[in-house]
Amino acid sequence: MSANGLICFTNCLLPQEDGSLVEKDLWIDERRGVIVDAQRTFFLRKERPDKIVDLGGNILSPGFIDIQINGGFGFDFSVYDGDDQAYRDGLKLVAERIIETGVTAIVPTIITQEKSLYPKLLHLLRPWSPPNAAHLLGWHAEGPFLDMAKRGAHSPPLIMPASEGFKSFESIYSAENLAEAEDWLMSCDIRQDTVGVRMITAAPEVDGVMDAITEASKRGICFNIGHSIATTDIATAAVKNGARCITHLFNAMPQLHHRDPSIIGLLGASPYLSTPISTYAPFPSATLTEFERPFYEIIVDGIHSHPNSVRLAYSAHPDGCILITDAMKVLDPHLRDGVHEWRDGRKFYKEGDKLYVEGTTTLAGSVITLDKCVRNFSRFTGCSIGEAIKCATYTPAKCLRIENKKGTLRAGADADLVVLDRQGNVVSTWVKGKIAWERQ
Amino acid sequence: MRLIIRDDAAQVGEYIASYIAKRIIEFDPTPTKPFVLGLPTGSSPIPTYKALIARVKRGELSFKHVVTFNMDEYVGLPRDHPESYHSFMFREFFSHVDIPPTQVHILNGNAPDLAAECAAYEASIREYGGIELFLGGIGEDGHIAFNEPGSSLASRTRIKTLAYDTILANARFFDNDIAKVPRMALTVGVGTVLDSREVVVVVTGLRKALALGKAIEDGVNHLWTLSALQLHPWALIVVDEDATSELHVKTVKYFKSIERVQEEVERTQAELRRRGKEAGQVGSME
Repeated sequence: MSANGLICFTNCLLPQEDGSLVEKDLWIDERRGVIVDAQRTFFLRKERPDKIVDLGGNILSPGFIDIQINGGFGFDFSVYDGDDQAYRDGLKLVAERIIETGVTAIVPTIITQEKSLYPKLLHLLRPWSPPNAAHLLGWHAEGPFLDMAKRGAHSPPLIMPASEGFKSFESIYSAENLAEAEDWLMSCDIRQDTVGVRMITAAPEVDGVMDAITEASKRGICFNIGHSIATTDIATAAVKNGARCITHLFNAMPQLHHRDPSIIGLLGASPYLSTPISTYAPFPSATLTEFERPFYEIIVDGIHSHPNSVRLAYSAHPDGCILITDAMKVLDPHLRDGVHEWRDGRKFYKEGDKLYVEGTTTLAGSVITLDKCVRNFSRFTGCSIGEAIKCATYTPAKCLRIENKKGTLRAGADADLVVLDRQGNVVSTWVKGKIAWERQ
Repeated sequence: MRLIIRDDAAQVGEYIASYIAKRIIEFDPTPTKPFVLGLPTGSSPIPTYKALIARVKRGELSFKHVVTFNMDEYVGLPRDHPESYHSFMFREFFSHVDIPPTQVHILNGNAPDLAAECAAYEASIREYGGIELFLGGIGEDGHIAFNEPGSSLASRTRIKTLAYDTILANARFFDNDIAKVPRMALTVGVGTVLDSREVVVVVTGLRKALALGKAIEDGVNHLWTLSALQLHPWALIVVDEDATSELHVKTVKYFKSIERVQEEVERTQAELRRRGKEAGQVGSME
């Protein structure tokens, strides 16, 4: 403990929001669990940290944020057996264990469910920060408004259209869970400054979905395009309506066709897409509203997207790149290779970062950890470790519009931090200003 | 006045840092008898700050009982502006050493009553019994602190309009836009600097060569305010080879020759003190 509650991290590299690494100190207030403005603390509060932590030249990064994760450590966010306490214990378990992978915030993702389960599950998934654990930021509902043609592992009988637009969304997810951002957060039993996020992945070409995008976005819900065969025109319209992100790029969507590049093609969309032809100028000028390309999630396990595809996407649109694990419940860095239980009597076969349905060569999802994705990403794309870190911190936070509190080292942000060595291996993880995990 | 010549800016910084460290350690400061240090901003003192920080990190030097007064600050620039001298001092020095924030003094360029701010600053320096050592740099026009050419050599802490030259030179820190450069500053006066018991000035680079020549080879002149140092009993200027380019060969040779003599006398005095004899500070010898 520091006598005046302030800690100075020194002898470290700080990842900046532009992807660079800068040798600089970071001051935090461990009592409030926030990063402080060192200069103001010095000149106005007239204090300097009583405790100094020498990081020995390591990287001090904002904690990683995983916005698409299905479960881990044996718990599946999509399995609810009627016991609220058991479900919350499962959430807590994942939140506690995942910090060793450098992750300090997750958006639990639930795949397409029985209609009746949504109100309950989404209610249980309101923002929650168990002690010494990653923050559970809210929920990511993947489905049920998906395209049958790209349903992936989602159960066909549960997939449906949104024939009544946003009304259909409300009837599935329940109106309470789709309230305006403020009302939704107010109904949570949490502190005022807690951040909360909601994401919905749906296919814009499915009946009624396009109409719902605008209203969902207006209410502060992050709309993702995914499990979709949208044409370029539909995908573009979805973004104009407010869609912010693409779910697991390259997976569950049409491959890039040069004449109709579909969803993937959004990464190459012209800044003039929103501008009438007559106002074309030789250089984009400040007066034009630029068409903003969406963020995109990418699984960097080297399997779900080939390293070449990863680099291709990143080169096209570096500022939109968000690393995700999309991990299944078998995620556990200590889990040995071999056969493991899945659900409904089916089994996984795990081999390194690969996960198959037992006895087949069918990929059954991902088991990679986010810290490994960061290291892979740097290797696949040739970017610096600082730029790779940005894709797991600042960029997802920006997509979720929480970049003032998470994924950043700005003053006032939560002191959720991960110490990495120069190769990107996790040395220690800090949550709300307190050390929560340390490599032995 | 003594002139110490070193090969380059880094060696100048190293020399001054070791000199200041020695002075602080010999002074043996305590909470009731702190070492009062005057400090500059600008690019010239950065190597000195770096070398001082290294000593603190190695545990050879502490600023626990050092009180600092900075030379100057812009008027109307927010304290948090990256170009404010508050920001500079925090970034380049204070954040890296163990000085308590309560012992740091920088003029407040946003004070409602700027004249009162200046008067209070002078009073605060007096309360601490004056400045023990003032470290300074100079501008290309020979200004020390913001005492631009024409400043009274008897001036005290006050509001000062910046010379056009200085505004031009500073524009590079403000998007190369002259309109964004502050036009006024609060600065200690030449008299304030001369009142300190010792003055150490760092001058490096070819661009400062003319000013150095004017300050030490010509007479005392308010158009080159550093020249007032000629009237100070204990002044040290540390320069790199580049900065000597406008000096006479004779001047350079003279100062190089007396460096050794000074060292000899200092050693003798230190030896006397070790044996418990009352031996005064050597000061500037020539």
